[in-house]
Formats: sequence, structure tokens, C-alpha cells
Amino acid sequence: MADKKVLVVDDEIHIIHVVAIKLRNNGYEVISAENGAEAFKLACEEKPDIVVTDFQMPVMTGVELVEKLRQNEATKDIPVIMLTARGFAIKDEQKEDLQISEFLSKPFSPKELLRSIEDILHHKVVMGRN
Amino acid sequence: MKPVRNLYVVVTAGGLLLLGGLAEWSRCAGRTEADLHLGLSAFAKGWGSIAPVCYVAGAVGVILLGWCWLRLVRSITSIARQLRENQSSQIKPDGSAIINELSEAINNRFSGNRSYIEQLEKQIGNSQLKIQLLRRQKRNADAIIYSIRDAVIVTDESDRLLMANEAAGKLFDFDFKNSQHKGIEELICTTNGGKKEFVNFLCQSRQSKVRYKRGEIVFSEQGRSKTFDCIVSCVYEKNEQVSGVVAVLHDITREKEISQMKNDFVSHVSHELKTPLASIRAYSEMLLEGEADDEKTRKEFYSVIQSQAERLNRLIEDILNISRIESGLIKVEKRPVSLTILIEEQLQMIRKQAEEKDIEIIGQKPIVFDQVCVDKDMISQVIINLLSNAVKYTPSGGSIEIKTEVDEIAGVARVSITDTGVGIPDDEIKHIFEKFYRVSANRKQAKGTGLGLNLAKQIIEKVHNGRVFVTSRLGQGSTFGFELPLAAAEALKS
Repeated sequence: MADKKVLVVDDEIHIIHVVAIKLRNNGYEVISAENGAEAFKLACEEKPDIVVTDFQMPVMTGVELVEKLRQNEATKDIPVIMLTARGFAIKDEQKEDLQISEFLSKPFSPKELLRSIEDILHHKVVMGRN
Repeated sequence: MKPVRNLYVVVTAGGLLLLGGLAEWSRCAGRTEADLHLGLSAFAKGWGSIAPVCYVAGAVGVILLGWCWLRLVRSITSIARQLRENQSSQIKPDGSAIINELSEAINNRFSGNRSYIEQLEKQIGNSQLKIQLLRRQKRNADAIIYSIRDAVIVTDESDRLLMANEAAGKLFDFDFKNSQHKGIEELICTTNGGKKEFVNFLCQSRQSKVRYKRGEIVFSEQGRSKTFDCIVSCVYEKNEQVSGVVAVLHDITREKEISQMKNDFVSHVSHELKTPLASIRAYSEMLLEGEADDEKTRKEFYSVIQSQAERLNRLIEDILNISRIESGLIKVEKRPVSLTILIEEQLQMIRKQAEEKDIEIIGQKPIVFDQVCVDKDMISQVIINLLSNAVKYTPSGGSIEIKTEVDEIAGVARVSITDTGVGIPDDEIKHIFEKFYRVSANRKQAKGTGLGLNLAKQIIEKVHNGRVFVTSRLGQGSTFGFELPLAAAEALKS
């Protein structure tokens, strides 16, 4: 089985770097972007299996990125994990509309992030088989 | 007994006069034939001798009687005079029984009337005091209502205006002094959504007879909205009927804005604090989990942790510095320094970031006599804040020009930093130095806490008696700068 591809989006280069090392060490292929606009472009081109994005970013926020992903046929089903330092900034209805699989609040644990990614991708595989 | 005695005198005098009369008649009658025949002659002769005595006694009686009546008339006249001239005093008895009785009766009536009058006077006095007190209370209430900056409206049981202050007149656009007894709906333009809501709120409060109602009402006019905290209290009669309402409208627009700014700040600062913290936690966990295989990676991880800890510290320092300057607790060490040299030092720190974005930095020519007496660390902080903002908000390929001028007449050194960046909209420029304020359109352009410019303003103006300034053209760029008193000018002053 080919490596699962994860798109990591964060304006903090250090966060991208540490997440990338953790995921690569565990057999994932990692692509990254520093803002939403760049990430959307990359998602359309690379079709990642999952997107891990920060909530607050310049140019295009995490929420705007997810909205765009959901509107695009090729990317509408990609599961998304959102990293946020302000979970309260997103309303519950918005969370449902955007179909965000999981919210992880900053500061987060890379181990926990890896576990979430594995759970979501595994669940997706099981659901796909059914 | 005296009136009875007078009566005896009158009767005796009357009798004597009658006897005198009879005697005179008998003296004359005795000379006629008929009288002799009747045998009256002897009788007449006997009585005729006492006639002069009777006359004298009768005359004395009449004189006495006249004297008594004169005395009585004089006493009555005196009482009348006393009554006319001095109503409050007692009528003096003069010894005559009738007069004494009359005086006593008048005096009794007098004293009865006097106490009644005194009672009435007391009541009138109390009423006048009450009226004065009420007038004073009304004047106080008027003064209170007119001096309140909040809009106050008082209406009656038919929702007509009884009273309003200047603030209410301004808010609802009516003549507050000459609009009494006009219907509140007629006075307040109800085509405006918020104002219609207010009129309804006022009328409903009166109808519901609830003692106190409170609500937030938003008035929107000419694209600007203002939020008011509206309190309506019913005024009750003794029978618990509502005779009107008092409405007070307090403008809470600014409070709302500040509250929103605080919420935004807490949210923003928590994000800003959590970002370096997230890196520290992730990298330290990776080290603990043995995910860094080689020494080089481990060193890289340590270095990230260190730099993020420093970043966290800087942010906390910024917040604390503003708070210290505001509370006047910061330690300031002022020494004469050259602004050009200070700027040059800070430029070295920012040059790398500018080069990464391909931004040209146009430096300054060295200026002599630009010595200012400042806290070096603080002014360096101001310069770095202004320079890093210029780099953040200037797109790639732009330029930043730094100028230092010395105005000897004004006794100031002026530093200006001009960029070719995104600029600031006209309606936002007045807020740019406010704490936590960030230009809404530029939020996505770069990260920030909204503290840098406020810190610069506090350092320049509060700590160094200088002045900050800004000019900007949207889409073309901005000039931020500051003026500081020259060290020489300050020395002259002191």
C-alpha cells in the first residue's frame, strides 16, 4: 500500500517541521503549505488523504480553506483536522457544516495528532469497505 | 346689678315727671267749676305743692339717664375704635356692666377667633413651606435631569412628553424645552427601526405596569449604529395606577467596543502565546519520545525550543511593558544618545527580513547634533516596532525609507519611516495607535498583537514627552514617525 499523503498547513514553519518529522517517521508522506490559498492549490493538485490545518493564518484562514475544499468536487471529501488556539472561535453549527473530523487545541501533542490521523484514516477505510 | 339700677333711675325719673305733670294739671284744673263739683279741688291743692320737687327730681333723673347713655355710647365707640385699631388686643372693660359684658363677649369671641386664625396661619405657613420645598425639589429634579449626560424622557399616562433633557432632544432630534404634552410617537421618528422599538418599549412598559424594565436598543443612522442601555421605570399614583414612565438611555456603544476589543485581545493574545508554546511542547515531546535520531536533529530541536521560549518572553514583556508604563511603574534610565546610531543598530536586525521579501531599505545620511536624552532600550523598541511593521505590511519589491531631521527652532529630532506598503484606510487611521487595534483589512496580511504601535506611543509620549505621528494613503504606503525633544533643548529647559 502506498504511503498515505498528509497536507500540513500552518503559518508557523516550526509546527510544519515537527509534524512532518513525526508523520514521516511513521510512514506518511507529508506535503505542506504556509497559508490557506497555497494549501487549497496544493490540495487540488496532490489530492492528499487528510489535511491538518491551523485555524488562524494570514491570506486565508483555516475555516476559509475548509469551506473552499468542501465546495470543490475533487476535494470535498478530504477529512480535515484543525489545530486551534481558540476553539471557541468556531460555532458548533459551523463545525458541522464544515465536516471537520477533529479539533486539536494548541499546544498539541504530535503523538495525539498521529493517533487522530490514524483513527480517521482507518475509519475512512472501514467505511469505504462497507 | 347696674343695668337694673339704671332702670330704677329711669322709672323713678319717669314717675316723678308724671307726678309733676299731675300736680301742674291739678293746679290749673282747681280753678274751674267742674273740678270743684267733682271734689277734686282739695286733692289738687295738696298735690300742687310737690310739683317743683318732682320736676327737679325728674330733671336730675333725666340728666343722670343722659349721662349714663352718653357713657354707654362713649364706651361702645371706644370698643369700636379698639376693634378697628387693634384687633389682636383684649377689649378693656370700663366698669359699666353692659360694657363689661359686651367686652367679655367680644374678648371671648376674639380669643376663639384668634386661636382659629393662629391655627389657620400655622396651616398656611406649613403649606407655604411645603410649596417651597416642593418647588425646590422640582428645581433639584430639573437640575439633575438637565445635567445628566444620558438621555432622560418622562411621559404621562397617555404617553405624552412631560419632560426631557438636552441629551434626549439631541438623540431623538426634537426641541426638548418646548415639546411638552406632545405624543411621544409624534416626537420620535418611528420610521427608524431602533427608535420605533424604543417607543414600543416605553408604551409597553407603562401598559404592563412593571416597576422596572431594562433592555438594549440599537439605533442605526447614516450607516453608524449606537447601542443604548435603556431603563424604563413606571411612576405610580397612590392607587397603584401608573401615571407615567421615566426612561433613561445610556450610550454603551464605546463600552461594547471596548469589551469586544478586550475579547479580541484575549483571544488574540492567547493565540499568540499558544503558538510558541505549541512549538515548545511538540519539540520537547519529540525529544522525549526519541523521535530525533541524530545529534544534529536534536540540536535543531533544542534551538527551536529556545527561540520559541524567547519569543514567548518577548510577547509577555510587551504586554507587561504597556501595563507598567500605564501604571507608571516602569524604570526609566535616560541618557544622551544619537538617534542615527540607534536607528542604524535596529536596521541591522531588520535588514535580513527585508532582504527575504526583496524590500529595499533606503537609509539616512548621518546627522550630527541629533542627541536625545532617552532610555536607549525603550527607543530601540520603538524603532524596531516601526521598522518591522513597515517590512510586514510592504509587499515584495517595495521600499522603506528612513529619515532623521533636526528641528532646532522647535527643539526636536524627528524620525520618519516611509514604506510603499498596503496603507491604512482613512476611517481607521485615527485608531491605529489604540491598544489592540488592528486594521481589519490587514489582519490577514501579517500576524500581530495590536500592541506594537501602542507600546511605541506610550514610550514616546508618556515616558519621553515626545509625539508620534502617521500619514497614509491606501494602497500606496504609510509614514510612521516620532519626535523627541533634543537633549540640548531639554538641558536648556531644566
